Amino acid sequence: MATAETFYDVIRRQGITRRSFTKFCSLTAASLGFGPGTATAIAEALETKERVPVIWMHGLECTCCSESFIRSAHPLVKDVVLSMISLDYDDMIMAAAGHQAEAILEETKARYKGKYILAVEGNAPLNENGMFCIDGGRPFVEKLKWMAEDARAVIAWGTCASWGCVQAAQPNPTQATPIDKVIRGMPIIKVPGCPPIAEVMTGVVTFITTFDKLPELDRQGRPKMFYSQRIHDKCYRRPHFDAGQFVDEWDDEGARKGYCLYKTGCKGPTTYNACSTVRWNEGVSFPIQSGHGCIGCSEKGFWDQGSFYDRLTNLHQFGIEANADKIGLTAAGVVGGAIAAHAAVTVVKRVTTKREADG
Amino acid sequence: MKIETPNGFTLDNSGKRIVVDPVTRIEGHMRIEVNVDENNIIRNAVSTGTMWRGIEVILKNRDPRDAWAFTERICGVCTGTHALTSVRAVENALGITIPENANSIRNLMQLALQVHDHVVHFYHLHALDWVDVLSSLSADPKATSALAQSVSDWPLSSPGYFKDIQTRLKKFVESGQPGPFKNGYWGNVSYKLPPEANLMALAHYLEALDFQKEIVKIHAIFGGKNPHPNWLVGGVPCPINIDGTGGVGAINMERLNVVTSVIDQLIEFNDKVYVPDIMAIGSFYKDWLYGGGLSGKNVLAYGDVPEHANDYSDASLKLPRGAIINGNLAEVHPVDHADPEEIQEFVTHSWYKYPDESEGLHPWDGVTEPHYELGPNARGTKTNIEQLDEATKYSWIKAPRWRGHAMEVGPLARWVIGYAQNEAAFKDPVDKVLKDLGLPVSALFSTLGRTAARALESSWAGHQMRYFQNKLIANIRAGDSSTAHVDKWKPETWPKKVRGVGFTEAPRGALAHWIKIRDGRIENYQCVVPTTWNASPRDPAGNIGAFEASLMDTPMSDPAQPLEILRIIHSFDPCLACSTHVMSPDGQEMTSIQVR
Amino acid sequence: MTIHQSLAADSGSEKTVEQSVYFYQAPVRLWHWGNAFSILTLALTGYFIGSPLPSVSGEASANYLMGDIRFIHFAVAQILSVLLILRLYWVFVGNVHARQIFYVPMRGRFWKECLHEVRWYMFMARQPKRHVGHKPLARLTMFFMFTLPLLFMVITGFALYSEGAGRDSWEYALFGWVFSIWPNSQEIHTLHHLGMWVILVFVIVHIYVAVREDIISRQSIVSSMISGERLFNDVED
Repeated sequence: MATAETFYDVIRRQGITRRSFTKFCSLTAASLGFGPGTATAIAEALETKERVPVIWMHGLECTCCSESFIRSAHPLVKDVVLSMISLDYDDMIMAAAGHQAEAILEETKARYKGKYILAVEGNAPLNENGMFCIDGGRPFVEKLKWMAEDARAVIAWGTCASWGCVQAAQPNPTQATPIDKVIRGMPIIKVPGCPPIAEVMTGVVTFITTFDKLPELDRQGRPKMFYSQRIHDKCYRRPHFDAGQFVDEWDDEGARKGYCLYKTGCKGPTTYNACSTVRWNEGVSFPIQSGHGCIGCSEKGFWDQGSFYDRLTNLHQFGIEANADKIGLTAAGVVGGAIAAHAAVTVVKRVTTKREADG
Repeated sequence: MKIETPNGFTLDNSGKRIVVDPVTRIEGHMRIEVNVDENNIIRNAVSTGTMWRGIEVILKNRDPRDAWAFTERICGVCTGTHALTSVRAVENALGITIPENANSIRNLMQLALQVHDHVVHFYHLHALDWVDVLSSLSADPKATSALAQSVSDWPLSSPGYFKDIQTRLKKFVESGQPGPFKNGYWGNVSYKLPPEANLMALAHYLEALDFQKEIVKIHAIFGGKNPHPNWLVGGVPCPINIDGTGGVGAINMERLNVVTSVIDQLIEFNDKVYVPDIMAIGSFYKDWLYGGGLSGKNVLAYGDVPEHANDYSDASLKLPRGAIINGNLAEVHPVDHADPEEIQEFVTHSWYKYPDESEGLHPWDGVTEPHYELGPNARGTKTNIEQLDEATKYSWIKAPRWRGHAMEVGPLARWVIGYAQNEAAFKDPVDKVLKDLGLPVSALFSTLGRTAARALESSWAGHQMRYFQNKLIANIRAGDSSTAHVDKWKPETWPKKVRGVGFTEAPRGALAHWIKIRDGRIENYQCVVPTTWNASPRDPAGNIGAFEASLMDTPMSDPAQPLEILRIIHSFDPCLACSTHVMSPDGQEMTSIQVR
Repeated sequence: MTIHQSLAADSGSEKTVEQSVYFYQAPVRLWHWGNAFSILTLALTGYFIGSPLPSVSGEASANYLMGDIRFIHFAVAQILSVLLILRLYWVFVGNVHARQIFYVPMRGRFWKECLHEVRWYMFMARQPKRHVGHKPLARLTMFFMFTLPLLFMVITGFALYSEGAGRDSWEYALFGWVFSIWPNSQEIHTLHHLGMWVILVFVIVHIYVAVREDIISRQSIVSSMISGERLFNDVED
């Protein structure tokens, strides 16, 4: 009877020797600050461990996260699915449907209580009693809460699950709600981006399976390893920013020379993601490299920060629409005008008072 | 109770009701209910879109130049096609033109999506409806190798190769953790492939999974990333700098070489793996010609892939445009998106309200108000649906109609129209496939026909990519490096009040966006998308949509296993997030559930 | 004590013809002019960070215009912050005027005086009341339009600076909590930008009122901030 293919089997199959494998384990142990004894433990875990069950659910979303996930080049998603995790439920690719699919959820919940990872793509709408997203005849939000109860941890894939994304942009008609506002008392790892980078997604998953712990999270609940620096900090066009060389118009001289896209609204300076380092699609490019500014897709509410092409955010308060400079200049103008008027009245008053006094 | 529909189907909901929810291996959320008679033949079909996101209301009052990013997020599978439709709609409204290079680059991106989507759809969303995973474990690797070599000269075909794949699959399936293959319908008598064909198809399932990520590198080159590359009103964002200072940061020779290399690979994959697989699988399923539905009656295509920039006439479009009704292939009707009489949406059976629901509304005048309710014959509660009542409202999808007809859209529709127009690019490959399989033209109107048309289109698209890549290079050689027109970039240059329409052929079929712009802001935005056409519920006249029609009269081998339903529905490549995003009234009070 | 004397001078100044009182202590004056310089520089550089100058030519490695503008912004912001810290220290050890703009008294008299001052500026009152230090309305305006915005600018400024300084920096340790309020730092940029305009509007009003008062109300205002002494040269009827 064949047994589950383990991490060790995978790397052996990929031509890695036993020796290299042992070396990998001791290096891993060392990098984690553990002694040589731990290396043996790691080796043993990777050789024999059952694959971690993953339940991948879809709420209100566009499936770009799943699409991104299958773009992973290292590891190949084939190897992730066949050998590193046990993707027991994912309505995007699973063979079963209807009752047979639902049965898997029940089984996993019971059999792997506290052991499975719940990966959520999309979010839950709360309006209309949750029936803007129906799954198995019931509101998706119920199914989500129910599966979260017994999970070991929850991964919030993409900006939908992490922040709400496009369906939560103003006025958010369905009241689409990020999953950390629905699931309580459970570690939630946010992996934002619309979608997140493929290798970041597989990186987070394999981190958990390899090191058997959850990644260190930042204040926003994102893995520090991928989300603690801005696109801007590692952008290869940064020297042009510092030099003061910008693209002023599409396809202008600056654009052809690869100048900084700051003036055309690039949100790299306020966006925490790994695009400028890991890059996209096996490192082929990333938005800025292909001439378009970053639209900030891994940030909360990036849809509501004004046009993607404005450097300064357009504000919509009080029924007017203007950026900070327009508001400021208007305020300064109004105040300046009032001061001029006030000064004029003062002078007139003074003159008349003086005349009265003189007369 | 028996009902005759105007589009020629006999519905009978007296038999046993079968519910499939969720329908998996599709984009988004959907539910299918069917009634089967005593012989387990489907006599009534109900297709329901079960999600709603309200993207169009969110678009109101926004900058039209941003709209592509919002609409792109309607769907991450057909990523980019909504964005392209959106920039076309905005350009159409504002009278913005694009340079020739931008046209070639956009075509390259759209066609790359076409190939990617078709490959992923067939291998990863559809193949398991035809291919039995368990059966492949008993295949003889040598015989598999012989089979593979007989259908194609694809190099990955040695007995050892198939043996390795089989061993790996065996280990995986027998591990007790079969992941996505868990609870599949393995062993169902509707699976007709011999073990060797199953093993070959599964090997290609894994190869396609590795390969699909290469195809979209074209999006990464021109749009910076995939899924969801970047687009631009007035052209494309990537500048061309072929041999000047700083060319390394623009589209240069190295970038073009990546594109060329990807095109070469995808043409080879299409022609040596995808199309031969379809032919091989088709040869075992050529007696299973169910699922034709509307394809032999009413099909619609808008056309796409313009040869010349800014020219969206029939002559310029390389994918055909037109409508065929009542199965009359002799007449292809012209299609006009601006004509209020042609495309209309109805809501009698959708969870929305109209002032007068007997009338349809043209998208420019589209009003929609969500109105979720279950009919009197529904079972269960509003938050726990057991069975829907299709006599009333039952879906989050509206019912679009072309001159009152329910239409099928998609690769098959395009190819049927191209075939009807006697276009050699479409007619010759179709005739060859039919001849090789020994099937009549009528066999085209089936689940298999839909699946085959998609493969042929993928191959066609690959060769078109090579054409546009060469065209792009020729144009650069001729001294034109322009990629964007910026004369009308600033809102100050725009007319006060305009409207426009943009259309494409998404992988799943005809897609169009209608936009109204006022004072530099979006006043109204409406999308009518392929799956809205295909998955549409009934209309006031009682016409059933393409999904429902296709399920009719199909025998199920085992009603407890919805294999045939999945096979037929998947052949449309449904995209539910696309179809169910229509708009809501602003600020309407809706009941909401408590967050714990 | 100076404080008592100046207070006494305030209340018992009915018959004064010409009188000078020392009340703006040196650190306060230093802070004022340090601020004036810093805020001007920060506003100017900040504006050009938000809306950069036209591109410069040449290789990127040979230019550092944006870098210099940002460097000036950050350096001056550090000066402003150090001055603010010193000033906060002086709130506790300086005279009563040193703490005037750091809180708003809740006493009824304060508000009555504010009202009178409003009447004076509306040309409804014939004579302004005389005050050593800040007048009530000035104090109110300064607190809400200067002190609080200044604190806001320093806090958001350091938070934004921490984005570049990194998650391991002391700036992030001290001011990272700002990102819990506004997770998307684009919002902080916008608010920081708006804050500049609040302070600039304040500056305009501040200069006008100071000059005007100097001329009309016969109390020295502008020179007080240089010498520290306020000169009352009005003739009582």
